Amino acid sequence: MVNHLLSRESKGPTGLILAVVALMVVFSFLNPRFASVENLQNVLFQSSVPLIIVVGATLVILMGSIDLSVQGVMGAAGMAWILITPNTRTGLDYGVWAWVIALGTGVALGLFAGLIYERLKVPSFVATLGTWYVGLGIGIMLYGNGLLPSLTNEALARWPTRLTLGIPNSFWLAGAVVVVGLVIMNYTRFGRGLLAIGNNEAIARSSGISVSRYKIMALAIAGGLSALAGILATMQLGSGSSDIGSTQLFTVIPAAVIGGTALSGGEGGVLRSSLGVFLLVILNNGLVLAGVDPDYQQGVFGLILILAIVTVAWPHRNRLKVAK
Amino acid sequence: MTQTPPPVLRLINVSRSFGAVKALNNVSLEIRRGEVLGLVGENGAGKSTLLKILAGIEKPDTGKIEMNGVEVKFRGPNDARAAGVGVVHQEQSLFTNLTVAENIEQHAMTGSALSRLGLQDWGRLNREAQKVLDKIGAKLNPNTKVSDLSFIDRQMVEIARAVCIDPGRRSTPLVILDEPTAVLEQQETAVLEREIRKLREFASVIFVSHRLDEILRICDRVVVMRSGSLSSDRPTAGVSKADLFSAMVDGQAEPVIHARQRPAVASKPAVKVTRLSRQGEFHDISFEVHPGQILALVGASKSGRESLARTLFGAETHDGGSIEINGKPVSRWSIRKAVAAGLAFVPAERKVEGIVGGLSSTRNIALTNPGVGAVGPFLRPRTMARVAKDWFSRLDVRPGDVSLPLGQFSGGNQQKVVMAKWLNSDALKVLILDHPLRGLDVGASKTVNAQIRAACKAGVAVILIPDTIEEALEMADDIIVMRDGLRSARHDLHSNRNLAIQDIVADMV
Repeated sequence: MVNHLLSRESKGPTGLILAVVALMVVFSFLNPRFASVENLQNVLFQSSVPLIIVVGATLVILMGSIDLSVQGVMGAAGMAWILITPNTRTGLDYGVWAWVIALGTGVALGLFAGLIYERLKVPSFVATLGTWYVGLGIGIMLYGNGLLPSLTNEALARWPTRLTLGIPNSFWLAGAVVVVGLVIMNYTRFGRGLLAIGNNEAIARSSGISVSRYKIMALAIAGGLSALAGILATMQLGSGSSDIGSTQLFTVIPAAVIGGTALSGGEGGVLRSSLGVFLLVILNNGLVLAGVDPDYQQGVFGLILILAIVTVAWPHRNRLKVAK
Repeated sequence: MTQTPPPVLRLINVSRSFGAVKALNNVSLEIRRGEVLGLVGENGAGKSTLLKILAGIEKPDTGKIEMNGVEVKFRGPNDARAAGVGVVHQEQSLFTNLTVAENIEQHAMTGSALSRLGLQDWGRLNREAQKVLDKIGAKLNPNTKVSDLSFIDRQMVEIARAVCIDPGRRSTPLVILDEPTAVLEQQETAVLEREIRKLREFASVIFVSHRLDEILRICDRVVVMRSGSLSSDRPTAGVSKADLFSAMVDGQAEPVIHARQRPAVASKPAVKVTRLSRQGEFHDISFEVHPGQILALVGASKSGRESLARTLFGAETHDGGSIEINGKPVSRWSIRKAVAAGLAFVPAERKVEGIVGGLSSTRNIALTNPGVGAVGPFLRPRTMARVAKDWFSRLDVRPGDVSLPLGQFSGGNQQKVVMAKWLNSDALKVLILDHPLRGLDVGASKTVNAQIRAACKAGVAVILIPDTIEEALEMADDIIVMRDGLRSARHDLHSNRNLAIQDIVADMV
């Protein structure tokens, strides 16, 4: 089964795994604390939110579209969730319904973007850009001017960091999402259909694949996963914030690209995108531990990011040339 | 008394119009079990419309379609497939990022190889695909990604997909092959012909081609279409190419091979290539082409001639030897410099390399060199349109509307516009043509060839990669034969007028 997965994603991810390992070795030399159990657990913890998002983002990118709405959906869903979960502001407790409502908000925003994209034939770039701000608007409205809503339930607030079998719960959740993503991509008609759409939409249509439905579904799933990421991030922070998802988009899309998921669609996969997330999280974490001046961290991160993407894209630089 | 089974397909008085144009006019046609039916006709004769109706992409305005004696109405491609019609389209339509098995079993997308959990069962999918591949005798691994396959292997996958139509229920599928040989080299065509003979054992076949000798070799029966109607329908036995040709073009005779006059050779060659090499493609190639001359590069696939042509145009780099243009050696050769030096390239992959499909013909023609259509950096749309209209009438481009996006034109007409784009430049000195007649019908081929000759007469040096050796013999002054990247022979057609095709083939393989 594992072989199956590896062989079917475009080109084996061996190179990526090596890159992740190499990066870890380098950072371990720069600062031995990098390889400590606590820090590695920290890396897994930090990877959790972007991993959940990248699964949805990859499904969308595989079909040749893009989802920019991540931050907005996270803000709306995160705020919706915390206001109906035991908190310092409202005192409401909807229990499991809080999850249903928050995730539903994400799915609804995804469906909204999907319908605009597919029914009104607006490019996904613009449709999801709009949804980003609609979601953000909802988040800001919910945030309002009242008391900062913080979690009052200790167990919930600690859940993301608590370890199960040495691994943070956050990461167990993210890992489960990645596995489900892999199954969807490799073992369902829907997943294979997304790849087909990304490769050639016209043929997909004439082959009887329900292209419109698949596109809307992919965006709805991406919305749902962004919502899940929003809830998890809120839990990790312990209090609500409408811009809980800021900067996530710019981790997730480069991660997918570094993983080899082509923005034009059809190439790449969930596994590769996930490795891309690890690469970026480790890079971020390692730079801090390596003692890079905080003032320079952003710039250095950007430069290394560009370097990484150029390296990954190098074998494909002649892609536009027609091979016969 | 045994009853004769009903024909696999029967069209009764089928008509279809687009606006005022009658694309199909009362067409009636029958295909029997196991029959290979050839379908020929010029571009625009209605072949494509007929095929689209059979594939469920278009609906007829009037008339009936029966399959196995039962009337059918296709609401979409899925209905046609379910009824047993499989189509191999002119342009390959595979998902290159998916596996062979997934491509073959299109219905896997709509649900057969699913396990109990609703998940795709790869083992079963591959086994079923293997069965289909075995049936048509293709030696391919169903788990390979299509992007890793060669062109002819992909064509095999297309055929496998076309015959893989609910194998349990349908005894005789109808397989439509729309110009499957147009982009194949000669030995690949032989493979395909064997394939079609094999298909006959369990399927009926409609075979569309512009190559009349192929049709005569492969088909049992041949129908000719002209302006939306069938102009001839008879068994292949006893039919000659000339018969088919006159049925296609309304009584005109087959074109004669033009004996070219030897052009006056200018002192300076327009292109001089000395010991040119490119790793893994071609090696130690030398030749000269003078203004007004046509040089044909002939060779099988992997002969390196396409790469040589692209290298001359600066689209690929060379790692040995030198290129001289108009007597001046070039350095750091690139497409930009090539265009500035008056070189032009008409690529074989029109869709990808030759046209900007979303732009109008006017814009496409003005793309490389707007000529009088521009003043400094500013374009003059009206002048551009006038220039385009002029080219349209000269090249007989149809439909004659220069403002339509070029992507909507048929292949032959796109090719004419690509020619116009380059011929529009006054500075044109060297014209490189990579399969200029690919996918063109007889009429369009004549027009394009006439334009090549006219350019030649005006002093342009032409380097031609022809589809067939006949084309080379008809057009060229000199022929260079290439084999495995090396020059294996050179012929001057003016001093050797009796050169036969076999002489050239001998040096190709």
